[in-house]
Amino acid sequence: MSITNDQNQMLIQMIKEFTTNELAPLDMTIDANGDYPDGLLQKVIDTGLLGITLPREYGGAGFDYVAAAEALEKIAVGNASMAVTLEGHFKTIEQFIKYGNKELNEKYLPSAVKRIFAFSMTEPSGGSNPKGIATRAIKQGHNWVITGDKIMITNGGLAEVYCVLSKTQDDQMAVFVVDKDMPGFKFGKREDFIGLKGVPVGEIVLNHVVVPESHLLGTIGEGLEIGDNAHADARVLMGAVLTGITDHALQTAVSYSKERKALDTPLYQLQVTQEKIADIAIAKQNTQALYQKGAQNKITGRPYAEVAAMAKSYGSRSAVAASDKALQILGGYGYSHEYPVEHLIRDARAMELAEGTIEKMNFEITNAEIAK
Amino acid sequence: MKIVVGVKQVPETDSVKIDPKTNNLVRSGIQGIINPFDKNAIEAALQLRDQAGGEVILLSMGPDSYTTSLRDGMAMGADSAVLVSSRAFGGADTLATGYTLAKAIEAIGDVDLVLFGRQSVDADTGQVGPIVAELLNFPQVTFAETVSLESENTIVAKRQLDSAVQDVQVTLPAVVTVRKELNTPRYETPLNIKESFEKQITTWTENDLNIDFSKIGQSGSPTKVTKVYEPTKELKQTTVLPVDPTEAVSELLSKLD
Repeated sequence: MSITNDQNQMLIQMIKEFTTNELAPLDMTIDANGDYPDGLLQKVIDTGLLGITLPREYGGAGFDYVAAAEALEKIAVGNASMAVTLEGHFKTIEQFIKYGNKELNEKYLPSAVKRIFAFSMTEPSGGSNPKGIATRAIKQGHNWVITGDKIMITNGGLAEVYCVLSKTQDDQMAVFVVDKDMPGFKFGKREDFIGLKGVPVGEIVLNHVVVPESHLLGTIGEGLEIGDNAHADARVLMGAVLTGITDHALQTAVSYSKERKALDTPLYQLQVTQEKIADIAIAKQNTQALYQKGAQNKITGRPYAEVAAMAKSYGSRSAVAASDKALQILGGYGYSHEYPVEHLIRDARAMELAEGTIEKMNFEITNAEIAK
Repeated sequence: MKIVVGVKQVPETDSVKIDPKTNNLVRSGIQGIINPFDKNAIEAALQLRDQAGGEVILLSMGPDSYTTSLRDGMAMGADSAVLVSSRAFGGADTLATGYTLAKAIEAIGDVDLVLFGRQSVDADTGQVGPIVAELLNFPQVTFAETVSLESENTIVAKRQLDSAVQDVQVTLPAVVTVRKELNTPRYETPLNIKESFEKQITTWTENDLNIDFSKIGQSGSPTKVTKVYEPTKELKQTTVLPVDPTEAVSELLSKLD
């Protein structure tokens, strides 16, 4: 086996241990309280999880996307919220690595092992539609002055560094890096979502925030490409998170169906249960295959946007359905807060919307197929 | 400060199964892990190193596959590792193992402190640490629940015994075996995992150590295992007392009569 495989295996083993000890026991609490308990994020930071994908030259561990995605799958089995928090961070770091200039990366990336980074596109007037972008970046001397309102940001309020998709004065799309400590930066409202309760999804308000030229990610006019790239990177990782959620549903259903009997017969021996468990297990394998192909294509330089969209489209629908099947196996208990399956449905449902709706995924997949 | 930590690779307890036909341990496919008590010893070593500076060297005796555990220990933060490995060491009991490890520690040289887990979870003898101390003529503290550096060449430790707690001060170099209550071992980190592959694992055979060949492996092992068996389980009779306290007390008294 190669060194990379050995290293990846050690990472996954370590992640499983951390998840079992630190995250899984808090899964129900995080859902009930709608936030991470005090100290949990610090533990995640102290264990170096923010730096899994960050290149070694910036103080990170430099694992590739295949390893990072598998790590998120295992984390999501314990707690999907924390996996999504890391997903938002990892996808943003990817954009720095691909599009960031040397000065910007040297200034910001070393802090990415301790500070969470976020990517903000959506505005009150629209999500995936770039025409709706109202945030403006106006050039003044060697600086850019940014004004606008970004909403529904994964880790909004928690993250300290934001990539902001903006329009320049001549209507070109561009992405700028903004720090929460800059004058004119303000946090807005946090959404009250029904699932993934640990992840803050919130708003930032920029009022004449001044950034130097080096804070431009990529070039002027490259904003949409960077946005698309961030979407594809996010969707691969979301496929991993959805695999983890489906696995969580599977494990809960399997363990319950072994213990619970109907007329002296364990539930798993009944054909009605077997059909559901098989469906959940198949869904897990399928989503896993899709995200792994996306991650593999990405690290080998092959196109991965379409398969990433498939991982998210198929993965989110099947994870919702799988969690619902698990709920049905658990019967009344499944419908109760006592068991995790009901919150798995709410968690998975988020990913039918976030990073582009299922309809948007299907639009992109169809376009890719038509173009072949 | 140069600290050596003895590391034993043991089967992962959760995955150990007994073959119902032969009553032997099913070893195939079982993952090897660091003996859990040894992780406490590594953590103690790392804390002392972080406080006083120096290096932490892991030491193990076993086949090549033991590099997995040594790598895990380095992913916790240990600086380097030595694996003593050769067929000549095969069949060693605790005495031969202790002798071999003591010779390896001499070969490492200028060691200030040697830490071990209190015992291994597969053999449970707790003998190797004390044997190493005797052979090196180092003072020893067993079952330590706290270990701290008192001065440059002195450590203090609290020993937890069955019915007493003993505070001990020893001059370095010394051997300490630790209990799990000593600390909570840190997690490996992603960066340390990567770095563990850049750190050195030195492998020594019997030819690299200044040893008496009659004291290693099977020939140096006076212990002979004649039989390994699973103890028979006696099913104890359990009586559940009534919920009502008065009835419960009277039934209990009648049982005690």
